[in-house]
Amino acid sequence: MSTFDIPIGPQHPALPEPLLLKLEVEGETVVGVDFDVSYMHRGIEKLLETKTYFQGLPLVERICGICNAAHGVCYTLNVEKLYDKEIPLRAQYLRLIIEELSRIHSHLLWLGVAAFEIGFNTMFMYTWRDREHVMDMLESITGNRITTEYSQIGGVRRDISQELAGKLLKTMDIVEERTKYYIKVALTERTIAKRTQGIGYLSTADAKSTCSVGPIVRSSGVKFDVRASDPYTAHDEVPFNVITSDSCDVFGRVVVRAQELLECVNMIRYAIKHLPQGPFRIKLPWKPNAGEALTRVEAPRGELLHYTLSDGNLKPYRYKVRTPTLANLGALRAMLTSKGRYVVNIGDVPITYGSIDPCICCTARVHFIDVTKGRSWIWTLDEIRERSKRGRLLR
Amino acid sequence: MSSEEEIFNELKGVFGEKLIDHKVQKRRVYIRVFNDAYKDVIRYLVNNKGIYHLETITATELKDGIEIMAHLGMDTSISIRTTISKEEPKIPSICDIIVGAEFYEREIHDLLGVTFEGHPNPIRFVLPDDWPEGVHPLKKSFETKHNAPLREGVE
Repeated sequence: MSTFDIPIGPQHPALPEPLLLKLEVEGETVVGVDFDVSYMHRGIEKLLETKTYFQGLPLVERICGICNAAHGVCYTLNVEKLYDKEIPLRAQYLRLIIEELSRIHSHLLWLGVAAFEIGFNTMFMYTWRDREHVMDMLESITGNRITTEYSQIGGVRRDISQELAGKLLKTMDIVEERTKYYIKVALTERTIAKRTQGIGYLSTADAKSTCSVGPIVRSSGVKFDVRASDPYTAHDEVPFNVITSDSCDVFGRVVVRAQELLECVNMIRYAIKHLPQGPFRIKLPWKPNAGEALTRVEAPRGELLHYTLSDGNLKPYRYKVRTPTLANLGALRAMLTSKGRYVVNIGDVPITYGSIDPCICCTARVHFIDVTKGRSWIWTLDEIRERSKRGRLLR
Repeated sequence: MSSEEEIFNELKGVFGEKLIDHKVQKRRVYIRVFNDAYKDVIRYLVNNKGIYHLETITATELKDGIEIMAHLGMDTSISIRTTISKEEPKIPSICDIIVGAEFYEREIHDLLGVTFEGHPNPIRFVLPDDWPEGVHPLKKSFETKHNAPLREGVE
């Protein structure tokens, strides 16, 4: 039978991201695929070369709206390697807390998106409602729901008070209870099993050869988690289990992510209980030493890598970012072009694509909320600039 | 996994003079090799040491050439670096050893103009379709400026 090309994207209701999938189909089944990701290239690596290390942080946080905590932590850890200074342990614990909180919100978000893709809208509503508890905590701790910029070069921006820690523990109880319910649903609900088992198959050999990362590779039975293999912040002190699954399909990815939520909850509890005393930030000079540094962080979507080359100036000579979705594109192609028993139907393309949890970016304005007066308003960039010159941001 | 120094010593025993120098950081060793040994060292690490995971490939334009660095490994990582000339930036592709290298090499080709010889699918990856041919934005000679107006006569 002759083949037929179907372009999906870059703007398509079934895909949550500007990616063009050029599918080669034979009847209803996919036989070949090619990607075009050029719609999203923003030139951030080039732009970082024109900013000082301290100016670069807000930009790095905006690479991804959902993994922003991972990007922020990775950037600050990476730049700190250029200074020969010990960062306070309390800051590392606080970074871990914010990172795991952001993982919880990202995984809950993904569970909702995945449920939506398979037509299970009730679960989509449930997970996104529960995600709000986590978002509220993120806002209480950092002051913002997303693009938190909590991790700073030299430590973190704010401390966590005793009262806030208690509130966080209560939120963790809610998340744990709801996650156990989702795991029960995922394991027993026929809708999920029918639409995810055997779909988006990625064999262990393919997962290894395409160098895929994160929950994708773990759901194909490979025990690879940067938090365990290359510990950063306080991950070498906070115990956790690396969750894997042998089912190699979308179902495995649902289970791995759901069970990771429980691990995150336990890690946050442990971190709060063992939070060391001491300063949460030290002051570092504007100019780091010359040298190079490479840092890997386990973002919600997998291994995130930042590399910088410094020539001792205010600005980096070269800054390289490798996001997890780029590493998983090879895996996505392997999934979509599976042969035989696991051949992909066109109807399964959205959930297969969604299962790698591709990243979405947003936010183009600034929204201010005055909690004490209960007002909210929006400022343009010029207004903010004008006010920051005058040195006050609140009306 | 063996320690950083052990990895270097083992490679030194196999490749001898082809390895130029090395630098050790925590759980990472950077090894500088000659151009012609770049692919052989990676092949040895994948086939004989079982280090199949490629973290990424980074490319940096330096004063005297373009540095290509392949980062391999899961726990103790090895970064194999080599410098190629700016006039004729060419290096063998490692896609036949590591399938996952394809997108990284295509990205470097777009941004720095390095040709990866033997790449299975050397087409444009991250740059838009209407981007001029032969302009590589990560080169130091490329200057950033504000976007030109989309239509003529519109400031």
